[in-house]
Amino acid sequence: MVGMRAAIAALALLLSACVAPARSFSAYEGKAVKTAEDVTSAVETARLAVRVAIRDRTFAPTLSVILGEAEKDAGAAQGTFDSVQPPDDRSLELRSKLDELMQPAVSALADLRIAVRSGRLDELQETAEPLVKIGAALSAFSESHS
Amino acid sequence: MTRAGNRIDAGLGLLDRQILDKDGKDSGNVDDLELFAREEGGAPYVMYILAGPGALARRLRGRAGAWLESAFERLHHSEDPHPARIPFGVVKDIKHSVELSISKRGLDVTTIEDWVRDHFISKIPGAYHDPGGTK
Amino acid sequence: MKKFLEITLGILTAIGGFVDIGDIVANAESGARFHMSLAWVVIVGVVGIIVYAEMSGRVAALSGRAVFDLVRERLGPRVALTNLLASYFINFLTLTAEIAGVSLALQLASSVNYLLWIPLVAFLVWFVIWRVKFETMERIFGILGLVLIVFVVVVWRLGDWHTLSATALHPSIPKGEGIPTYFFFAIALFGAAMTPYEVFFFSSGAVEEHWTRTDLMVNRANVYIGFALGGILSLALMASADLVLSPGGISVSHLSQVTLPAALTIGKLGVAVTIVGFFAATFGAALETALSAGYTVSQFFGWQWGTFVKRVEAPRFHAVVILSVIMAAMVGLTTIDPIKVTEYSIVLSAAALPLTYFPILVIANDPDYVGEKTNSKFLNVIAFSYLVLLVIVALATIPLMIATKGGS
Repeated sequence: MVGMRAAIAALALLLSACVAPARSFSAYEGKAVKTAEDVTSAVETARLAVRVAIRDRTFAPTLSVILGEAEKDAGAAQGTFDSVQPPDDRSLELRSKLDELMQPAVSALADLRIAVRSGRLDELQETAEPLVKIGAALSAFSESHS
Repeated sequence: MTRAGNRIDAGLGLLDRQILDKDGKDSGNVDDLELFAREEGGAPYVMYILAGPGALARRLRGRAGAWLESAFERLHHSEDPHPARIPFGVVKDIKHSVELSISKRGLDVTTIEDWVRDHFISKIPGAYHDPGGTK
Repeated sequence: MKKFLEITLGILTAIGGFVDIGDIVANAESGARFHMSLAWVVIVGVVGIIVYAEMSGRVAALSGRAVFDLVRERLGPRVALTNLLASYFINFLTLTAEIAGVSLALQLASSVNYLLWIPLVAFLVWFVIWRVKFETMERIFGILGLVLIVFVVVVWRLGDWHTLSATALHPSIPKGEGIPTYFFFAIALFGAAMTPYEVFFFSSGAVEEHWTRTDLMVNRANVYIGFALGGILSLALMASADLVLSPGGISVSHLSQVTLPAALTIGKLGVAVTIVGFFAATFGAALETALSAGYTVSQFFGWQWGTFVKRVEAPRFHAVVILSVIMAAMVGLTTIDPIKVTEYSIVLSAAALPLTYFPILVIANDPDYVGEKTNSKFLNVIAFSYLVLLVIVALATIPLMIATKGGS
């Protein structure tokens, strides 16, 4: 019984710990890298999905689910990061730098989702084009800050 | 393999064992025992096996016990809720389970089971369908 | 063929335990993040579940008693009640996740939001338990779940054994990942392999099928083949994610992403088979956890249980199953993330493992139950080592979960 209660308490703690404040630049930077990685993951997922879809190797409903989730994940990562209070000026700078990379990622993912759900599958390759650069830039960001 | 009537360690050999009636149907657990000593200070004999949440609640003690006891009293429809008492005389054999020589229908171990059946399960279509097991 | 059908109980048990909704994603995620560095954990887990499932099946065949019966007999009502509450809680969380998981698989095939599928799926889970014969159920979902072998085909086609064996044989923690996170994933994989509802379901299934002394070989075949298959599927998921997803820096958090390796290497057919496999495995796991909810509660109280008797003869068992399924569907509808739910419940279950496995070990050595078929000395040594391991894992679980914020 006690173990159970401890487990529930741990779970509650864990869920509330998701948006912990950052107290120093390095902690903030760590969060920035984690966020960049999460957005990279979403971008790369979408790229891979588009790659297989163009070669007719997956189904439209499956593709639509993958892209919808990628968009949501990227948006959520961005939202979580933006809600963290930057502790100093350097952090503020870092924040705007990362935001500049995330903004186009989220909107490119949204464009893809819209293209798929309105059945414009022939435009997929073109719509996914910007993701190549965005993905590379995000990876470079994570590399240079970790 | 201990026959009824012999001496067994009631704590380990009886308590918390499964009770099976003459048809091999699960009829509750040995939740507690009622003992009786023929003479002052003599060896105690098992008079009754107590089965059901009422008896279990008393052994659990603590908050879990209190909760179970109140739940049992609410579910039990008689004026004076008491755990089912199975006379030790109907025990046919004690192996890994306590086997009875009569059907559980003749004992009051089925009060709650009957209630759940009559008010809930029997009303769902297919409740009387015979699954025709491999036995 | 007849011989093959006799081992579907083991196959269904293993698939429901190893590749249910949370494990599909957790295996793929650990492959994407840690390559094959956690492969050894799967193997340790497979051996552990084989050892204990064999004992539970043997006890069930020789005495007709399933695991939760034994838990109460050996640990007494108080400790058994603690275990019951913990096990039920884990079971319930997993059931919630599986119902959502089946719905997610249907979403992948239809793009209709999974929440809309939940009520229908919950109804179907109950309906199968209510109406379908145990053996038929176990055959359909055990065999259908086997199509997940498509992941073995994926790995085979990619054929990059060099990359896989490098990290499998020399496990290391990749740059950017912490040691606590590595161990958090290790516990999640170990917990998935040894999740307690497997032995509840397997031993109760043996009683449902009226196994006797003559079925001891069947028991062994079920355990060895079933759980080894579960382990292979688990490793194949890990390997395919390592080869296909990891290079792009993709970290897996959705079922949908796990279709990508099959799409890339096989194409539409691969995706279709994958989705069918997801459906069968999660549905099988839903059946396994819903039934286990009924089994554990009924066996603790000594109520009549099982689907081998008329429904009206086991009213409380069916009432527990029905209420569990309804509640699980309701929790699932709150849009709680089913994948996170199972990942947590697996880790939490690690904390309840010793309370389930200790009584099995004791009873498998008790001639009152198994006659002369008690454990060999060798088996006892292995089983006891696992018990020690389980206790260590149980103690490490909660601190690790907090330290890593759930492996994020």
